[in-house]
Amino acid sequence: MKTAGRTRRFVAFLAERFPAEKMSLQAMVQKKEVPVHRWSWAYYLGGLALFFFIIQIVTGLMMLFYYEPSVATAHASVENLTNNVPGGALIRNLHAWSSSAMILSVMLHLLTTFAMKAFGRPRELTWVSGVLLLFLVFGFGFTGYLLPWHQIAVNATKVGLGSIDAFGEYLPGALSDLPRQLRETIQGGATVGQATLSRFYAIHVIVLPLVSFGLLGLHLLSVQLHGMSPGVDKPTGRTEKFFPLFILKDLKVWGVVFLMLATVAICIPFDAFLDYPLAAPYNSLGSTPDGIKPEWYFFWMYYPLELLPFWLVAGGMAVLQVGLLLVPRIFRGTSRKVLKSLAAAAAIYLIVITLFGQAIYEMFSGGH
Amino acid sequence: MRALSAATSAALLLLAVETAHAYPEFEQAIEKNAGRTIDCAFCHINPDGPEGTKVGQIGSLSPAEFQALNRARTAFEPGAQVESPILNAFGNHLVTVYGKKKIVALRADPLALAAGLGDSDLDGDGVSDAQELLDGTHPLMSHHGNPWRLLGVNLQRAWFELIMLVLATLFGVYGISHLIRWFGHEARSALGGDEESKDG
Repeated sequence: MKTAGRTRRFVAFLAERFPAEKMSLQAMVQKKEVPVHRWSWAYYLGGLALFFFIIQIVTGLMMLFYYEPSVATAHASVENLTNNVPGGALIRNLHAWSSSAMILSVMLHLLTTFAMKAFGRPRELTWVSGVLLLFLVFGFGFTGYLLPWHQIAVNATKVGLGSIDAFGEYLPGALSDLPRQLRETIQGGATVGQATLSRFYAIHVIVLPLVSFGLLGLHLLSVQLHGMSPGVDKPTGRTEKFFPLFILKDLKVWGVVFLMLATVAICIPFDAFLDYPLAAPYNSLGSTPDGIKPEWYFFWMYYPLELLPFWLVAGGMAVLQVGLLLVPRIFRGTSRKVLKSLAAAAAIYLIVITLFGQAIYEMFSGGH
Repeated sequence: MRALSAATSAALLLLAVETAHAYPEFEQAIEKNAGRTIDCAFCHINPDGPEGTKVGQIGSLSPAEFQALNRARTAFEPGAQVESPILNAFGNHLVTVYGKKKIVALRADPLALAAGLGDSDLDGDGVSDAQELLDGTHPLMSHHGNPWRLLGVNLQRAWFELIMLVLATLFGVYGISHLIRWFGHEARSALGGDEESKDG
């Protein structure tokens, strides 16, 4: 009896999230309306993230023709692409800059969605699939960072994977060896080497894109089925047609953003921000150069890891991840005012730690 | 006077042979000035400097390369075309421009090394070698430089492509704006038609 009841509730839950009567072009596209109010700009952030994802796919596919996933030739193949292939530097810069832009827009999308309380019933699965996409985007960043096989790439990956080992100290008995085994499984051996590069390459170009397509499909289907959330406590009552008006406005935004992205990609090589010894081919026999750091979008957890006890930060990360997935349940009854304050606090933390993380680190670690 | 000059040259040659490492004064001064980390690959073939047996280090040189190295070591005065096998193109360029004697003397004022380089730009990235030396960016890597300087240079270099890009975007946005207006007009017309038919 209990099982039958649970099954019925589960079916009812799914039926509410995926209403069959709305699964038509007419309901999902032609009749869909987008609310118009002072937070309407936030409705463009998801589309922007999708736009950068498309650029990632296109430029990534182009680079696949030249990239060689071998420790002996990976760096040289990237150098060849940058210096000798017509348009290669531009494609690589577009890929690098748009990856950062994608992560930024996904983070902003998450914060604004949270602030607008767009995760409420029946949009829980839209939120959960979005959070999982955020995790995937970080996965793309982490695995893609290793592929050029330069000093900072390999050493930062070593540091990142090495932090898994630290969990062992907090596990009892035989379990304490589990993190090391997990790390070696991920990296394919005792150290970061060819097996790691092969695995990260496969994960970056096959596994993560396939999972992303599935999750993105679910996310977009959910968005189209339930429409955009009202987003504000007092709706203006004004709306605009999703098709064609909102789509066309989205395209305008994409056009302007592409102009900005292309200008930056043409004019500023992404690697110019690195000290050149960090961009030199990885040398397993040489000393580790100074300044090994992850990409800017990991600073929010990198600097706390450097400054605070590991157990505290790791525990905080675990709570944050589970908390993000459970947002629709935890904040079900919270007002938009409180949600906006929380989102603003998170945004301030992210901005401060990203821009001033190094200065804060030097201040608290005595300049070392 | 001549004897003194010859003696100085001989002493410098001996010094160069005996202490065959990169001059750390230059590296330290550039790092301090630029706030960027550099290594011996700024001027040398090998990032760990000339001593050792790895590629570009003295211990790995063939007899012919040794001869080239000794020729470069005797280039005390400016103007000599040198091809030292332990130096990269920028390092050799420095020896050509200054001569070994002056380079050794500039260890007391390392950043003055930039002053005599003029407008030379070995990697062709639009930022002069002198400026790259002061910025701590590699003078032989065209995609490496101070990001804001590269932005300025590339905005000027790619002005035609950028203007085309701006025009394409403007035309696209203009076209889409007209489409939006047209659809809005159509929607209002349809609404008006509906209301008329309702009234009728």
